[in-house]
Amino acid sequence: MKRRSFVGALMTGTVISALGGAAYVLADDEEERKARTALRPDGRPRLPPNQYLLKRLRPMGGDEGDPSPSGWRLQVHGEVENPFTLDFAGLLAMPQVEQTCDVHCVTKWTVLGAAFSGVRVADLAARANVKPSAHHVIFEAAHGYTSNVPLREALAPNVLVAHRYGGTPLGRPHGAPARALIPDLYFWKSAKWLMGVRFAAEDHPGYWETRGYHNHADPWKEERYG
Amino acid sequence: MPIRGKKNAMAEAGETPARIAAPRSRKRIHWRAVLRAVHRDAGYSAVGLTFVYALSGLAVNHVADWDPNFRNSSEVHELNTRLPDDDAAAGKLVTERLAIDERPKEVYREGDQLEVLFEHRTLHVATLTGHVVDEQQKPRFFLRAANWLHLNRGKKAWKYFADSYAVGLLFLAGSGLFMLSGKKGLFGRGLFFVSAGIALPVAYLFWARG
Repeated sequence: MKRRSFVGALMTGTVISALGGAAYVLADDEEERKARTALRPDGRPRLPPNQYLLKRLRPMGGDEGDPSPSGWRLQVHGEVENPFTLDFAGLLAMPQVEQTCDVHCVTKWTVLGAAFSGVRVADLAARANVKPSAHHVIFEAAHGYTSNVPLREALAPNVLVAHRYGGTPLGRPHGAPARALIPDLYFWKSAKWLMGVRFAAEDHPGYWETRGYHNHADPWKEERYG
Repeated sequence: MPIRGKKNAMAEAGETPARIAAPRSRKRIHWRAVLRAVHRDAGYSAVGLTFVYALSGLAVNHVADWDPNFRNSSEVHELNTRLPDDDAAAGKLVTERLAIDERPKEVYREGDQLEVLFEHRTLHVATLTGHVVDEQQKPRFFLRAANWLHLNRGKKAWKYFADSYAVGLLFLAGSGLFMLSGKKGLFGRGLFFVSAGIALPVAYLFWARG
């Protein structure tokens, strides 16, 4: 093949791939159209802008932690009067919440009606007796991963330390034995392999936030990048 | 002055006649040739890490479509039996019935659920019915290691290797600009391709309002 025809073929292939990818991205099925028009109780559309639907969570990688329930500990600390550490049995002994919620990944997939069980962060905060000086919550996970959430949003009733998904204990790729769940922010905030909930007076941008992602991560405002 | 074909005192002392006789050459060092040589050798030494970073980059770039570190699978088994109350006995029964040779790292009971953990496998067992969800993770041989390096999971010294590699790439890109002269060099077709390479991301930034 001559160089000129090779370069021509390469460019044609690139254009076809790009157009095919764009057509795939722009294709919208019936379920997605419904989700775009359906509204949540707070008036926002069920499917945030530029998201597409998936049936189940994707693992999305991460530096996996120890999935052992017996070795798991959750440290609740920082700007609190009564810091404490929970083991897995202790987590299960706290009031349990079962909820179905929608989760939205910054890579544009959304899962509607994901069923999680766990303990409300608000209940952990109440037990720790958070000081008035606390304004942020830092979710601390294995290998130094962190994500930061404003206190007001971390104490929302749908924010959990979750240990079950889809009716079974949390799988390894999803952060077993327990992860954070903050459904109304992009899913990177929901730290997997959770090891600590730290209440902080000042904001401490987390792993992705210090790598160019948005500090807040509201899917309806498309706060993807900082 | 040495005499051709005659042994002399200096040669006896270790100097070769040829060396002594050679006229002092005043070869000019051509900077472009040196640049090409250095570029070539830097390029050779960058091959390994380029494969690591490029393949890992492709893998991680599509993290939404697949798990770049593990092959994950999930199977359901029905043991159709109630499990013993003793954790060790229950774990043994499950592993025997599923013909698993590996020894569990941990058997953990939470209510009527038993978790049997292995190195890269977890069995979620309903103790009352014997319903088992068998989750397995098989590490991807090359990619897991490449991703580990690419994402600098190891921290510490790797940061300096990665920095050196990045500086090396900057050198390769910079020296590559000046390797050729003439109409195939930077001020010929090179200018077109370099401009195109810069224009593409700039155009994307404008288009995506980045």
